[in-house]
Amino acid sequence: MNDQKPFITVDHLWYTYTDGTLALSDINMKIFDGEFLAFIGQNGSGKTTLSKCLNGLFKPTQGDVIVDGLNSKNTPIVQMVRRVGYVFQNPDHQLFNNNCWDEIAYGPRNIQLPENEVKERVEEAAKVVGLDESYFSEHPFFLSKGLRQRVAIASILALRPKVIIVDEPTTGQDARQSIEIMEFLKRLNEELGHTIVIITHDMPIVAKYARRVVVMGKGKILADGNTRDVFRMSDILSQTFLEPPQITQLAQRCASLGFSPSTLTVEEMLEQFYQIIGVN
Amino acid sequence: MSNVIIQIKNYSWQYMNSSDLALRNINLEIEEGKFIGIIGPNGSGKTTLAYSLDALIPGQYNGIKQGEVFVYGKEVEKYAKGELQKSVGVVFSDPESQFTAMTVEDELVFGMENLGLSIPEIKERLEWVTDLVDLEPLMLKPPYEISGGQKQRVALAAVLAMMPKVMVLDEPTSMLDPISRKRVFEVLAQLKKEKRNTIIVIEHSLENLIPLADRMILLSNGELILEDETQQFFQNIPLLLEKSVYPPGVLLFFYRLFEAGYANSVLPLTLEAAENNLIKIINEKINGVNR
Repeated sequence: MNDQKPFITVDHLWYTYTDGTLALSDINMKIFDGEFLAFIGQNGSGKTTLSKCLNGLFKPTQGDVIVDGLNSKNTPIVQMVRRVGYVFQNPDHQLFNNNCWDEIAYGPRNIQLPENEVKERVEEAAKVVGLDESYFSEHPFFLSKGLRQRVAIASILALRPKVIIVDEPTTGQDARQSIEIMEFLKRLNEELGHTIVIITHDMPIVAKYARRVVVMGKGKILADGNTRDVFRMSDILSQTFLEPPQITQLAQRCASLGFSPSTLTVEEMLEQFYQIIGVN
Repeated sequence: MSNVIIQIKNYSWQYMNSSDLALRNINLEIEEGKFIGIIGPNGSGKTTLAYSLDALIPGQYNGIKQGEVFVYGKEVEKYAKGELQKSVGVVFSDPESQFTAMTVEDELVFGMENLGLSIPEIKERLEWVTDLVDLEPLMLKPPYEISGGQKQRVALAAVLAMMPKVMVLDEPTSMLDPISRKRVFEVLAQLKKEKRNTIIVIEHSLENLIPLADRMILLSNGELILEDETQQFFQNIPLLLEKSVYPPGVLLFFYRLFEAGYANSVLPLTLEAAENNLIKIINEKINGVNR
């Protein structure tokens, strides 16, 4: 699919929790620079476990995860988190400092950067997420959920990882907040060149933003391909009880009228409608 | 309007230490047996409204109340302690805030015991609700040890077991994956069909809500902006968009067709209806051109 060198290579990865639960079995995948991916699947399908293997938080039980040429098995976590950042689903599980500045500075300090560079990184990360200076002294817990999520993302950005994994970026957010956070991730992807991985149950969000979709079920990858192709795999989706976005389903039901079963958005649906009835 | 079960008159609420009204001059009547969807951006007052229906507000919160909230014709503050909660059950968006017991089973039984139900009745309801919400494997676990989605299902089951006349569900599926979410809405659909409960659901996920809701309410900045039968409600799509409520793709598609003069204003609320409408529109267009 791509002749460039992959940034992440997952090679026959197996992961078993200490209590014996098999969470991942024989995962193989490559992630390239600049991709925008979505991991989808039911709760317990292994999405979060896989993500934590990608940033070295979990070490493979068997197999390898190679990030930027480094094998996660023998690379210190400090090196891994500079390359792959993971933003928790619930920002409250990640935020623990008494003010936003310390929160964002925690990562850079932890990897032992000099204080002047810490300052530079915090300011840069805060600017990217649109957090102005007046928030620096605020306690994160008194901010809205949307702002807390931004602080959480900023604290990851400050480590300048190439790949940013965001676990359920839109859960509990209303429509406007969801769009804001997704447009922000899109900007990180398109303008700043970060590879973005989202873990989500929100299929319209996947349709609109992700260019590649990885479907997981029972610890295995069931499908991996571009978003349009994956949303056409109705067998695999229904196996995992996922449904493509409503508009895609309508297009699929009306395929005999001439609609493409891989329609992703309302705009595409409208375009086809006008073509079918012969109006420009 | 003979069977009005909830009546809200000129109701405003302001939390202590807040400079703004959380709800502003709300007037609303809800009829018995209806399924009501409440939508609106975060911070628009949806949860405050839910809490006001079972007197958690003003009971458990400090603030300033104006106007009145009646349930079965009686102001919520006039009920003896615990009486109102027999009629109105709330499933919280944060399920942990409602747990008190050490096992899921005890959690489910707790509310029923409080209602003074007989042991055979408790057993029967316990079986019904365990099966309905699929909780069998969790019964002996502590509620705080299960996952967020499982907690949410237990919270729902605990309220269902009490069979309150009015059920208020505050974002009941926010932590659920698609299949569990679908299952919860199937349970609600079954309740709507078989029992005569009044069900009030606060929800961001409109795709599941719309096919079930008889009426919809839009709140924004503490004000009731729109309240109508679901079909009529979604004829106000520009207003919804202005208030940052984004209808599901299919509704938006048909609204665009309506704007362009290709569909009528009665927008399809289910995929089946949408499919039929679209086939009809296209067939008419193509045959019309041919004729």
